Amino acid sequence: MNTLFHELGAAEIASGVASGRWTARAVAEAALDRLGSTHSRLNAFTLVTSQRALAEADAVDAALADGRPAGPLAGVPYSVKNLFDLAGEVTLAGSRIQASAGPAGADATAVRRLSAAGAVCLGAVNMGEYAYDFVTENAHVGATRNPHDGARSAGGSSGGSAASVAAGVVPLSLGTDTNGSIRVPSSLCGTWGLKPTYGRLSRAGAFPFVGSLDHIGPFARSVRDLALCYDVMQGPDDQDPVCTGRPAEPVSATLERGLEGLRLGVLGSYFTPDAGGPAERAVQRVATALGATRVVELPHVEAARAAAFAITACEGGQLHLPRLRTRLREFDPAARDRLIAGALLPASHYLQAQRFRCWWRDVVRSFFRDVDVLLAPATPVAATRIGQETMRVRGSEVLVRPNLGVYTQPISFLGLPVVAAPVPESDGVLPIAVQLIGAPWSEGVLLRVARVLEAQGVCASPVVLRN
Amino acid sequence: MPVLNDPATVSEIASLHDAYERALAANDIPALNGAFWDSPHVVRFGVHEQLYGAEEIAAFRQNSAPVFTERTLVRRQITTFGADHANVMCEATQRVGGRWRTNRQTQVWVRFPDCGWRIVAAHVSAGPAAMPPQGEAALQWVDAASAAVRLTVPPDLREPVAQQLLRIESIVGPLLAFNLPDGVEPPAVFTP
Repeated sequence: MNTLFHELGAAEIASGVASGRWTARAVAEAALDRLGSTHSRLNAFTLVTSQRALAEADAVDAALADGRPAGPLAGVPYSVKNLFDLAGEVTLAGSRIQASAGPAGADATAVRRLSAAGAVCLGAVNMGEYAYDFVTENAHVGATRNPHDGARSAGGSSGGSAASVAAGVVPLSLGTDTNGSIRVPSSLCGTWGLKPTYGRLSRAGAFPFVGSLDHIGPFARSVRDLALCYDVMQGPDDQDPVCTGRPAEPVSATLERGLEGLRLGVLGSYFTPDAGGPAERAVQRVATALGATRVVELPHVEAARAAAFAITACEGGQLHLPRLRTRLREFDPAARDRLIAGALLPASHYLQAQRFRCWWRDVVRSFFRDVDVLLAPATPVAATRIGQETMRVRGSEVLVRPNLGVYTQPISFLGLPVVAAPVPESDGVLPIAVQLIGAPWSEGVLLRVARVLEAQGVCASPVVLRN
Repeated sequence: MPVLNDPATVSEIASLHDAYERALAANDIPALNGAFWDSPHVVRFGVHEQLYGAEEIAAFRQNSAPVFTERTLVRRQITTFGADHANVMCEATQRVGGRWRTNRQTQVWVRFPDCGWRIVAAHVSAGPAAMPPQGEAALQWVDAASAAVRLTVPPDLREPVAQQLLRIESIVGPLLAFNLPDGVEPPAVFTP
């Protein structure tokens, strides 16, 4: 069988498995093969669960042979950021410290739901230590390299997720986003990414970072696959107190509805990227394709970013305080000093940030009375070089690491749903994504808009693996 | 014996140096090149490079991006000899790769009849790690707060953690200055 499985999307694979065109086993073996042959180039995987993958694939094939119906993700291989619990495996969360923790007793809720849909877990992928980075330059296992250019970052902190999808090792991956960690790697690797509404998807079994801001979400190479994975994971979960009690609201069936009735705008002021740069070009292409001419200026965005920063520093520092007391030297130094500083901040910073969050939420809600989707760049620049310390933004040199998330942080601060829509590489120009931002619980609308962009060829995520 | 530190000359050099510092911050390459004597005899030693002649200096400017941010002059001494010769020696603090460092700069200026004041020799060197101006207060904060939360911060991490605190302070400034209306409560569990 000569099928190039790695070029197929999740929906296609599942359809082929369900119809008997190919076995789940064949798909899993091909994916494991590609994982092995691309590993030294990407450094994406930190754990390969080949036994589990083959067992899950065989179980899918056996169920079909028994006449049972195939799940929506039958035989589809996927990877998970290594902060998701996998039963029997140690959850690293990008750290060395967690390596001495016991193995997880059960899969994370999201993983369990993917399994139940027939998906096949290939393994866990690299991330920035404890999710506190935008570049996936992990001090313990090294940087994950961008499939478009091996000298460049895959973005972070879900860099392994984005790289494993962009390079065609898996069609789906699970990541997390606190201040941008799904959207930044989607932008740098040129994949589709979804950060749903805060509380939409259960985070149970995912190692936390900032409880007030953590989201989980999928990466994929097509809108249809993104929607499919998202639908499978939806639903209430008592084990995550933040997870909404709203019933699942599947979006896959309404993807092709087009733009009718939708009002679109482009975020200005704070979100205006450098003139003539790749971020501006990408936003303009997307805005033109969607007929979005209206500019919307949200007030107080700098204060919002500051508040997200304060909440992150405080909650992140507090979460790790016991480990900072006893295992200080085992932290990545880049994360360590920031975590300590966060643990020393006064309560007034934190409470002011949380109060501001409630107040600003109401301010921004009022804008969504007149508009359904807002556009903004996902990152100020395309993929930076691994180890690059500064970059030019708005006429001055700024540090790369904190500033890759400058456009994502104020949006996730309010828990608004976002699709990262990749404008693909062309003529040697690297990919970069545009944020499609909606009102809470409007993932269906965002994915409809994403589908329009994909159908027009403005946004795409082809398999890429260059030197 | 030429006049030492004639006020008008000192003032002229101060303005020229201020303009040079602005050009540095903006990476204004034409302005930076324009300040240097256009001659094969000019020499500039940078932190990592030795450049002989205006062409080498211009090529360097074109091909390298500055790596510092938030440069602040800490001390400057201008010494002028007559109306046509001056030295500028200054110390600055700046952030390189997230760490504060001292930076030392020497410039020798000469006034030429045809083109006016130009830098004829320059030398830049990096000093040791530094604390920015608010550093002492931040260090005291680290000591007091770490005791309060029962977290031992080892001596070698005191300064890096203090620098992170200062960085956080500079970022959260807009939030702390923001006047929220009365009666806004923080959320129990945030709903979007």
